[in-house]
Amino acid sequence: MNSSKKTSRLSYLTSGIIRENPTLILMIGLCPTLATTVTARDGLGMALAASFVLIGSNIVISAIRKLVPDSVRIPIFIVIISTLVTIIDYLMQAYQPDLYRVLGVFVPLIVVNCIILGRAEAFASHHGILDSFLDGLGKAIGFTLVLFVMGTLRELVGAGTFFGKPVLPPAYRAAPMLFAIFPPGAFFLIGLLKALVNKLGWGKS
Amino acid sequence: MKESKVWMVLALFITCLLSAFALAQVYAITRAQIEYQRNVAGLKAAFNAVLPEADRFEPATPDSMVWFAYQGKTRIGSIVKTAHQGYGGPVPVTAGIDPQGRVIAIRIASAAEGLKETPGLGLKATEPAFREQFVGRTAAELKLKKDGGAIEAITGATITSRAVTDGLRAALEKYRNLLVIESGGENEQQ
Repeated sequence: MNSSKKTSRLSYLTSGIIRENPTLILMIGLCPTLATTVTARDGLGMALAASFVLIGSNIVISAIRKLVPDSVRIPIFIVIISTLVTIIDYLMQAYQPDLYRVLGVFVPLIVVNCIILGRAEAFASHHGILDSFLDGLGKAIGFTLVLFVMGTLRELVGAGTFFGKPVLPPAYRAAPMLFAIFPPGAFFLIGLLKALVNKLGWGKS
Repeated sequence: MKESKVWMVLALFITCLLSAFALAQVYAITRAQIEYQRNVAGLKAAFNAVLPEADRFEPATPDSMVWFAYQGKTRIGSIVKTAHQGYGGPVPVTAGIDPQGRVIAIRIASAAEGLKETPGLGLKATEPAFREQFVGRTAAELKLKKDGGAIEAITGATITSRAVTDGLRAALEKYRNLLVIESGGENEQQ
C-alpha cells in the first residue's frame, strides 16, 4: 500500500513531462508555445513565468479546496491565478525588464493559459497540497521543456545563435532561414515535434 | 455550510480581499524598481544617441533632467533633457553636453514617442539638417538667427524651432554649474 502510494506520487510528477505533456500530448497552452519561442531565452522566460503561476495556483487551490463552494469555484480560481500572474508581472517588470518587453502581452495572458486553470479544476481541487505541488511541477517541467526546445531550435535555425551567442558559422548567420523565427515556423516546428512524439508513441498508456 | 449562499458570497469576497492585499504588498515592493527600469530603458537609447562614448549614466538632479555620463570612472559629459512647449505640445529634447558646456549632439523624440508637431513642418526638427546645427554650440549661441543667435529656424515652423532652441538654452543656463567641469589643471591647489 505504502509503496504503491509512493509510485503514484512519483507518477504525478513524471506524467506531466512525457505521458501527459501539456503542449505535445494534451495540446493545451499552445498560444504562448507558438508565440513566445522566437529565442531560447524568451521561451524559457515565458515557461518559467507560467511555471511559477501553475505551481503556485496548484498549491493555493489545493490548500483551500475544502472551503471553496462549488458554485463559485471558477471565479475564485481565476482570482487566485490572476493574482499570481500580476505578481510575476510586477517582478518581471522590476527585475527582468528586457525579457518583459519581449514577452509583453503574453505575461498577462498567462491568466487564460488552459494548463493552469485545467490543472486547478482537474487536479488541485481534489488532491492534497503535496500531490498538487508535484502535479504542478511535473506539468511545469513538461511545458518548460517544450518551450525551451522550440525556442532553441527556432533561434538556431532562424538566427544561428543560442541565448544570443553566435553558434553557427558567420556565413550561415548572414543569411539564416528566417522562416523559423516567423509565426509559420512555429506552426511548422510544433507539427514536426507532434509527429515525432506520435512516432515515439508517447502519450499512449 | 460550504454550499450555503452566504458562504458563497463571503468566500469570493475574502478571496478578492486577500488577493488585493497581496498585490498591494508586491506593488509597494516593486514600484520603485519598475519606475527606475521604465525611465532607464527609455532613456538609455536616447542617451547613447547623443553621447555614444559613455557607458554609464547617473541622475544629477532629483527631477532627472540632468544626468552625468561616465566612461569607466571618468566623467566625459552630461545629458540635459528639456521639454519646452512647442506648437502641438511639449518638444522633448535630449542633449549630450561636453565638459566645457558645448553641445555634442541633440536628439528630439520622434512622433512615435509622442512628439505632436505638424508633419512636414515642425516634425522636420527631428531631421539631421536641423539637429546638426546644434553641434558644438554654447548656451549663448543657442538662439534662432532671427533672435540674434546661430540656429536657422525650420521654414514654417518657428515655434517648434524656438521650443528646441530656447528650451535647450534655458536648461544649459539653469544647470550651468552642474554641466561645466572647471578644468582644474593649472589652478589646482592643495
